[in-house]
Amino acid sequence: MSNANNGAASQSSKAIGPGSFAENLIFTNRSVILSLFLLVTVFFAYNASQIKPDASFERLIPLEHPFIVNMLENRDDLENLGNFIRIAVSVKEGDIFNKAYMQTLSEITDEVFYLSGVDRSALKSLWTPNVRWVEVTEDGFQGGPVIPDGYDGSQASLDQLRQNVLKSGQVGSLVADNFKSTVIYAPLFEINPETGKPLDYKAFSLELEKQVRDKYHEKNPSIQVHIIGFAKKVGDLIEGIGAIATFALVTICLTMTFLVIYSRCIIATVVPVITSIVAVFWQLGILKLLGYGIDPYSVLVPFLVFAIGISHGVQIVNQISEQQASGLNALASSRMAFRNLVRPGILALVSDAFGFLTLLIIQIDVIKDLAVAAGVGVAVIIVTNLILHPVMMSFTGLSKGGMKHAKKVENSEHKHWRVLSFMSHPSVAPISILIAILGCTIGLYYQKDLKIGDLDKGAPELRPDSRYNLDNDFIISNYSTSADILVVMVKTAPEECATYELMDVMDRMQWKLQNVEGVQSTASLVTVSKLVTKALNEGSYKWFELSRNESIINSSIQRAPSGLVNTDCSMTPMIVYLNDHEAETLERVVDVVKSLIDEYPSENYTFLLGAGNAGVEAATNQVIEKAKDVMLISVYAVVSFLCLVTFRSFAAVICIVTPLALTSVLCEALMAQLGIGVKVATLPVIALGVGIGVDYGIYIYSQLENKLRHGYPLQEAYFETLRSTGKAVSFTGVTLALGVFTWIFSPIKFQADMGILLFFMFLWNMIGSMWLLPALARFLVRPKKVSTVEAK
Amino acid sequence: MRSILCRFARTSALALALGGSWSSNSFSFEDVLDTPAFSSEIAYQHLLLDVQILTSRWVAVGEKGHILFSEDTGKTWQQADVPVSVLLTAVHFASDSMGWAVGHGGVILVSTDGGLTWTKQFDGNEANQSIIRQAEKYVAELEADLESATEDEAGDIEYELEEALFSLEDAEIDAEVGASKPFLDVYFINEQKGFVVGAYGFLFATNDGGQTWDNYGDRVENFDRFHLNAIGQTANESLIIAGEAGVMFRSQDGGDTWETVDSPYDGSWFGILSIDEADGALAFGLRGNLYKTTDGGAVWEQIDSKTTSTLMGASFDGDAGITIAGNSGVILTSRDGGDSFQEMIREDRLGNVSVAYVDDGELVLVGESGVNLINSFGQNL
Repeated sequence: MSNANNGAASQSSKAIGPGSFAENLIFTNRSVILSLFLLVTVFFAYNASQIKPDASFERLIPLEHPFIVNMLENRDDLENLGNFIRIAVSVKEGDIFNKAYMQTLSEITDEVFYLSGVDRSALKSLWTPNVRWVEVTEDGFQGGPVIPDGYDGSQASLDQLRQNVLKSGQVGSLVADNFKSTVIYAPLFEINPETGKPLDYKAFSLELEKQVRDKYHEKNPSIQVHIIGFAKKVGDLIEGIGAIATFALVTICLTMTFLVIYSRCIIATVVPVITSIVAVFWQLGILKLLGYGIDPYSVLVPFLVFAIGISHGVQIVNQISEQQASGLNALASSRMAFRNLVRPGILALVSDAFGFLTLLIIQIDVIKDLAVAAGVGVAVIIVTNLILHPVMMSFTGLSKGGMKHAKKVENSEHKHWRVLSFMSHPSVAPISILIAILGCTIGLYYQKDLKIGDLDKGAPELRPDSRYNLDNDFIISNYSTSADILVVMVKTAPEECATYELMDVMDRMQWKLQNVEGVQSTASLVTVSKLVTKALNEGSYKWFELSRNESIINSSIQRAPSGLVNTDCSMTPMIVYLNDHEAETLERVVDVVKSLIDEYPSENYTFLLGAGNAGVEAATNQVIEKAKDVMLISVYAVVSFLCLVTFRSFAAVICIVTPLALTSVLCEALMAQLGIGVKVATLPVIALGVGIGVDYGIYIYSQLENKLRHGYPLQEAYFETLRSTGKAVSFTGVTLALGVFTWIFSPIKFQADMGILLFFMFLWNMIGSMWLLPALARFLVRPKKVSTVEAK
Repeated sequence: MRSILCRFARTSALALALGGSWSSNSFSFEDVLDTPAFSSEIAYQHLLLDVQILTSRWVAVGEKGHILFSEDTGKTWQQADVPVSVLLTAVHFASDSMGWAVGHGGVILVSTDGGLTWTKQFDGNEANQSIIRQAEKYVAELEADLESATEDEAGDIEYELEEALFSLEDAEIDAEVGASKPFLDVYFINEQKGFVVGAYGFLFATNDGGQTWDNYGDRVENFDRFHLNAIGQTANESLIIAGEAGVMFRSQDGGDTWETVDSPYDGSWFGILSIDEADGALAFGLRGNLYKTTDGGAVWEQIDSKTTSTLMGASFDGDAGITIAGNSGVILTSRDGGDSFQEMIREDRLGNVSVAYVDDGELVLVGESGVNLINSFGQNL
């Protein structure tokens, strides 16, 4: 067998001329190569199946940013601030003071009480004994549970309940301003003290849906349940990732359909898909062995790898069919395909890989992971596509149907390519360039609105119309509460977190912050102290002030919520509630906080930015903003350098890179218009788009240069290029776009954003390379020069 | 509606000159008693405690040293220059130009230009020193008495001296804590003579327009040092002080001597309001307690307020209309000179501390949500 193959190889090498050392090595040991691939693929596939989902919060944030460093250092003391869920139970008609509603509320409260992970002692609802009404009387305080003693659902007891609710001070926090809903507030344990296990967000979120929402919607159709909180959001995100499997399947089907239409050949359809899936297995296997997991961002990479694999596979199929059509046998055709494509193939893939690796400069783990994952994926494709693919095809060749179709195409008049070749015509080219300049200007104009950070309200990870965000809207609009919180941490020596000096400074800072546009309100121990001092003075507003008497301060904060002071009173947060988390708001508030910190210096305390979701986003935005331009410059520098090295011509660099730059500008304009900010999810897309988009240009230019060398005039050369490569390039654009297309439908907003942008960039880069590249070539490339170089 | 009416005049460019402006403003934090009020465009939406209507200007005081004035019947409010940033609890103008505002930290501010600019006349540190001086003087007097006393008298004087020494010690401890006690109300009979009352029995008086303030705390029988929450005067010039635990005092001689009133109620009073051209007044306070006198505060008769919410401030329209504001959004109105009241609950259910008639049954209301213009039904205009 191997002899026969060798014989065939030498025969074909005679027909097609001698190959390189690598080519000979590969094509004279095809069986060995195939067996090796099989073994390695099995090994990697096994590892790939062991890869763990990794959605940890820390990977999403810039760990080296000072805000985040401060936050993580104080994490234990801040914990009580964040992890809770709020379940609002609303009535569809009337108000909450009716027997059926209160009955259901009581049942749901019990249900939540028994959910694993809930801090039962801190659970709050109208039905829990810790929610009380208090009244100042001549003899001091008088109070009791909000649900009146002997409550029986009668009108009298409901009236009493209404009175108690008004006296409880819970309107706005536990009871909606319009009395149409109430909240069950359930703090959660990060680590369940009973089992010692960390909270299983997915399971918890599912329990909430099943045991609370579904169950009680069914039991009492006149109520509606709204659930928000970190645990619910994470649960929804994990659930959203489940859609990926479907997306993968749909993507493979779509791709195969297009391959069949393109090649009319079962072999040309199955082989690229197999090699691409092999590449995905390798990539995931290698990542697993390198110790990486897969997160909601890097889960995009296998799709890209698959799409890139297909697009390069199509080039090979295309070459082979061309060679086979010219009379060569399968092996010789494969060798020729290898020989012709190894240089542009490696160049394209290496520039992809380097494009991705520029992402490493961003100090956010999940982006670095994405860079590594994509880099590995592309490196793998070099091996699978340039070796495995032609070797497999060398056994099979194209099917007869495929060849017939290829011949038919080959012999057709290529009317559309003929038309397209006019793009390089001396009178069309200037128009194209003018249009490009116009497009670029328009793009730059709209791109001005491009914003940094997340722009949507609520949980930006999820779609604005997702159930979570609708629930969030409901709760925000009916309760005095904000979802966007910036926490300034204040550190002191133990037992000194409530001195008059510090409290006074916090009081002043809070007021100045409240005067900043975008700040809704603020809260801290000072707020508690003032409220309690007022309450202790018979509820008179004339006492709503911070006392400079330490013993009054101390007694006023004795029962402060645990999140507002740590156990040894050495850390206390100053909480700033914001209107939104737009980058401008965050930047404005953070700047003011910084200047306030400078304004009130003391050796007795340190103010540290910044925790809370707004602190994390502010830090992330700063890192992203700084990285954005550096990254763009780097990725273009890398791509240009690689083109320069390969083609040894500045003209080539300009021809290839200009369409990319146009796409980048238009992409940013698109982002600005669609309200997609530059953020953790979309920044990598810009690099990926350029890194992958350069492939088209490289293939077209290398073929064009090739044809020019053979002495064709430019338009003819371009026609020849389009005839051979153009189809493959357009197909590549479509397959790549298809690879990410399904993402547009992801329930996770940032995945959808990534999908939209990549879809746009892949298509536009293709259009740019086929339309603008030849126009530029008309002015920049001297056919004679190329052919004389060849002649020498 | 409120936002249109009370839109703040955008006079101060400084107010929202954000970012760097504060850091360059390097008063490296002085005491709140020496820190000028921060200029704020949102002050009119935040806690305000008292309001008074002058001929061509309305003046309101509140938290963080905010003194706001409006010259266009409440449409826009501007912030006056105030040298302190403590919670100001009360304001009283003796004339259209001369007014005083008091508040936490024992602060007394004066304005001679009808509320546009304010200067500090007195603060808690001076109050503490004044009380110490008086206690020392009393101790010295007793010691002198003791020297010359007969043996019979000595026992009593020694007992009194011991008490006086305790008082002195208390005063010295207070002084160490600093200016921690607030004044809660102010009333000026004329441009020269006025009184301020406050926490823990604070009572000071001036006869020279506030140049000097004398401790009158020992002129009322308030041994438990209950808070004195309010001071008012009837048209017949009976002065009434009311406070915590039902304490009530009255003076028929312009405040030189004070008699203890047999209070009809033993909870806290928060306000006194003159309600006619004679000697009538209302006293109101905790849990909707409301009483009326017609003889300058000697005898009180309970009025049904129909509410259990605490009543904080009131206004008389000069005829027979009275409006009282209080906690939990309660507004009480009377059209019969205070014999009967209607209760209204404002939609926001926020607390209000003071109210003043402006025109044709319209009122300006101040409290937790800042300033609001309301009609006689307690609804926002």
